[in-house]
Amino acid sequence: MGVSNVKQWSRIVKEALDRAFFTAKFLCLLHVSNTYLCTVALAHGPSMLPTLNLSGDLILADRLSVRFGKVGPGDIVLVRSPQNPRKIITKRVVGMGGDRVTFSVDPKDSRRCETVVVPEGHVWIAGDNIYASTDSRNFGAVPYGLLQGKVFWRATSFHITLGLY
Amino acid sequence: MKCRRFGGKGEEDMGALSKLSQWRTLAREAAERTAILAKFLCILHVTNTYICTPTLVYGPSMLPTFNLTGDVLLVENLTVRMGKVRPGDVVLVRSPENPRKTVSKRILGMEGDRVTFMIDPKNSNRCQSVVIPKGHVWIQGDNIYASHDSRNFGPVPYGLIQGKVFFRVWPLNGFGSLRQ
Repeated sequence: MGVSNVKQWSRIVKEALDRAFFTAKFLCLLHVSNTYLCTVALAHGPSMLPTLNLSGDLILADRLSVRFGKVGPGDIVLVRSPQNPRKIITKRVVGMGGDRVTFSVDPKDSRRCETVVVPEGHVWIAGDNIYASTDSRNFGAVPYGLLQGKVFWRATSFHITLGLY
Repeated sequence: MKCRRFGGKGEEDMGALSKLSQWRTLAREAAERTAILAKFLCILHVTNTYICTPTLVYGPSMLPTFNLTGDVLLVENLTVRMGKVRPGDVVLVRSPENPRKTVSKRILGMEGDRVTFMIDPKNSNRCQSVVIPKGHVWIQGDNIYASHDSRNFGPVPYGLIQGKVFFRVWPLNGFGSLRQ
């Protein structure tokens, strides 16, 4: 009786280990594809109205474009905030290194504009809703190394839209 | 009476079928090897992200801590991700001037600190003092005469830090954890 109990236990343990390994391999694969291929993010806040909603949009961002330097003006990107490294923000790229960017400093109060040349290795990011966005107008051009991904797809709440930005 | 049929269409069919099965076994073997390679790369990636990764650094900017011709170091990024990097740590930082380049420097100040540094130690004794803005760090090479660092491009955002160096593997006479 004792021997068959041990055999049953070893079989159960082996099956549990197999399943654990399978789950671990699947999670590894998920992690690798999240880091190198494509990542999911939930973007909320008023700074990208009307492109993205206030209450939250599920967006897909691919990581290959950033890695291969295929980001350009007009792209919506995920950026690690230079003011708070734990926060990732969604903004639009307005200028790359070497470009001359003109922006209105405080659109709610005045119409004063400023022109700035973006340093090499940096990008100028701006939210679509300039009245409610903390972006490069506040913290200056951000280094390209802070870009996390380029947004290419957005799911809205009731229907899936294939939006090419 | 013809008992044997040699040559002709029958043998051609047999040849094509055997070639197809050969291709299929080749394809299956290639898929198995690719799967093993993919699994190995996945495990390598997870190890690099959560445990440690080796890296080769070279150049004069961190003399005498690191050699000119090259040192192999172990870098971990758990400390960076938990935000527990402190002044005095040697870190790998993605260069703010060239995003494809990763440099190794020492952190001299965190956000809110006031840092005093010599602007151009080869030519003058002039010093300057700067308060580091929120979310940024001040990095400087140990060899201030030959280092391109925060004295040139200003404080760098914390998000550019890739990892903290904690161990030296090569050359062997420097084997061991790095001391301050």
